[in-house]
Amino acid sequence: MGAAAEAVSTRPRRRPLTWRRARRGSVPYLLIFPVIAVMAAILAYPLYQLVRLAFQRYGLPELISHKGVYVGFANFTSVLHDGIFWHTLLRTVAFTVANVGLTIVLGTLMALLLVRVSKWVRILITIGLVLVWSMPPVVAVQVWNWMTNVQNGVLNYILTTLHFGNFDQHNWFASPFSQLAVVTTLVVWGALPFVAITVYAALSQVPHELVEAAQIDGARAWQVFKDVTLPVIQPVLLILTSLSILWDFGVFTQAYLLIGQPQILPSNYLMSVYLWEEAYFKNDYGRGAAISILMLASVALLSLMYVRRMLRIGEVDR
Amino acid sequence: MRYRVIAAVIAALALGVVVATTASAGTKATHTLVVWLQVDAQTGWPSVVANANTAFENANPGWTVDVQYQSWGTHLQNFDATIAGNDVPDVIEMGNTEMTKYMAAGAFANITASKSQFQNSSHWLAGLTKSSMFNGKLYGVPYYAGSRLVTYRTDQFKKAGIRKPPRSLAQFESDLTKVKAKEKGIKHYSPFYMGGTDWYSALSFVYDYGGSIAVLKHGKWVGQLESKRSIAGLTAYMKFFHSYAPKSAATLNEANPAPYTVFSQNRTGAIFGPGWFSCCTGTKYAKVTGQFVMPSHIAGKSMPGFLGGSDLAVPKQGTQQAQAREWIADFTNTANEKALQAKGDIPNATNLLNNSVNDRAAKASWFVPTAKYWVNVENGNILRVMLAQILTGKYSVKQAAQNADSNIEYTLNQP
Repeated sequence: MGAAAEAVSTRPRRRPLTWRRARRGSVPYLLIFPVIAVMAAILAYPLYQLVRLAFQRYGLPELISHKGVYVGFANFTSVLHDGIFWHTLLRTVAFTVANVGLTIVLGTLMALLLVRVSKWVRILITIGLVLVWSMPPVVAVQVWNWMTNVQNGVLNYILTTLHFGNFDQHNWFASPFSQLAVVTTLVVWGALPFVAITVYAALSQVPHELVEAAQIDGARAWQVFKDVTLPVIQPVLLILTSLSILWDFGVFTQAYLLIGQPQILPSNYLMSVYLWEEAYFKNDYGRGAAISILMLASVALLSLMYVRRMLRIGEVDR
Repeated sequence: MRYRVIAAVIAALALGVVVATTASAGTKATHTLVVWLQVDAQTGWPSVVANANTAFENANPGWTVDVQYQSWGTHLQNFDATIAGNDVPDVIEMGNTEMTKYMAAGAFANITASKSQFQNSSHWLAGLTKSSMFNGKLYGVPYYAGSRLVTYRTDQFKKAGIRKPPRSLAQFESDLTKVKAKEKGIKHYSPFYMGGTDWYSALSFVYDYGGSIAVLKHGKWVGQLESKRSIAGLTAYMKFFHSYAPKSAATLNEANPAPYTVFSQNRTGAIFGPGWFSCCTGTKYAKVTGQFVMPSHIAGKSMPGFLGGSDLAVPKQGTQQAQAREWIADFTNTANEKALQAKGDIPNATNLLNNSVNDRAAKASWFVPTAKYWVNVENGNILRVMLAQILTGKYSVKQAAQNADSNIEYTLNQP
């Protein structure tokens, strides 16, 4: 960087700026321009509007007159003084930790399994994973709904038949914990394929001779994994973890549809559901905007650690 | 090469413009009236919609009616989006509990001056008219109402020796006890079924005992669920539910599973809900499906049922309001309202009522408080939480009612 800066600062004196050179110099900017324009249109402008909205009183009357009323930080103070916000934030953090943890651990285990099995089994498992991946969340919710149905659900039937206890007419949506646990199974199930396939790809980068050397030195399977495999796939795991945090913190479709509006309550809110209820059901768009900005800040804090470690790994690699 | 490409693009654009202009010049200029109805009309009475459209289109040459069907769960969000985008429908069907918030916000056109344009408007059902008025002005036209009935298995009741519909709640309870004893052999059977948190049906007990949800006192809404009479109603509901409905249904709602599904699976002898529940009791049991009005705890009277219903409103931002009113007048004329009545709905005016079980049920009814923020109480599931707390025994009736009252007061008295 230093050398390049020097070159730029000394050159213009020796060579006057010609039309042709200016044109050549602008090529990179021209090439990046479409991307910047698209990003500005689909991200920066809505984001600007969102921030503006967060400082306005904007309800149904304002929606009709197309004009909000500036109220300073009133939306933020009202959200931050709302006990529901803090409870929801804590619940969402716990939900995210559980979901990300389960997704990464199960995904890695599945990837390790993929390495071990024969080619045909691997192909079958991969097809299964891709099928899971390709199922839209709304459809998956319907399937889950059927399986957990109080009266005719196959889950209650199987658990009872296998003598796990009496699950006859068991209502899986009776308590907030149970509701979010069912949502967790759906979210983790849907996220597994991406993690398993990506980690499987990363595992192929683990040098075979290192594994063999460790085994010859008497390392056990767990030690080989911990000291040889893990360091190699760590960058991939970090990326997967931070992506999963982003996704799981913002889960909406699965939670909202599976629990169902008549049972959506402050005691089972996740952040995005809380945001939806405040902004769209109560038509308080200003407050909704404030919540989404606070949500953005919390998820940024949550993933900060991972991004920093990722950057550090990047520096070492260079 | 590059110039050739540019030339080609310009030529294509020019061609497009020419085609577009000739197309619009070739056909006669038409106007479209956009109407949002709920899917109930599409599945239940498409012929009534077609009648209104034909009448309107014949009277207004060059106009077409575009009916867009909506679902209850999402139509308000869709409507909000069209308000934001200045692209509102010309006519919108609103649930009667949804009206107040939008009238208060100024979303609908004031149609007080045009009231006489609508047939039977001097005899409109009081419950529906109330939901269409705000500050003494009219913002909606009553469309139809639906009452709540008990839908039951006539064969099972006969088998238990019951020949007549019950005249009191106590008699209904003793009937259900008899049915229960006779049908012991059926797995997962309960003589009565409803989702425990179905507040539309459950709160009928509250109104039957003279209670209510909330009342306006000195400009402030005051919760009434902890009042003596409401508590008596809630307690009666709890006892009734515990005696005859399945325990697993305590935290369930009326949507999942639908009570008529439970009925069609031969798992219950009676369900309580909208009159149209008789539609879907299963082909196997269609011939042994009967209905009666839910009896009151006072012998000889009916329990007041929730008067659900719909109104038709003209969004204020609409630019074709005169035509919108005309279409509504066509859609709610006497002939069409009679057709709705034939489908099991309650027509919008008292002079059209007859002695059917539906219409009799409509005579004793209750309605939610007409407060600006009422819909937030509904969507916030405050009443459902209270009912679940009572039925699962998490709180006493009084405690649960007190919690609900404070939540309701907080929600309704927002500035």
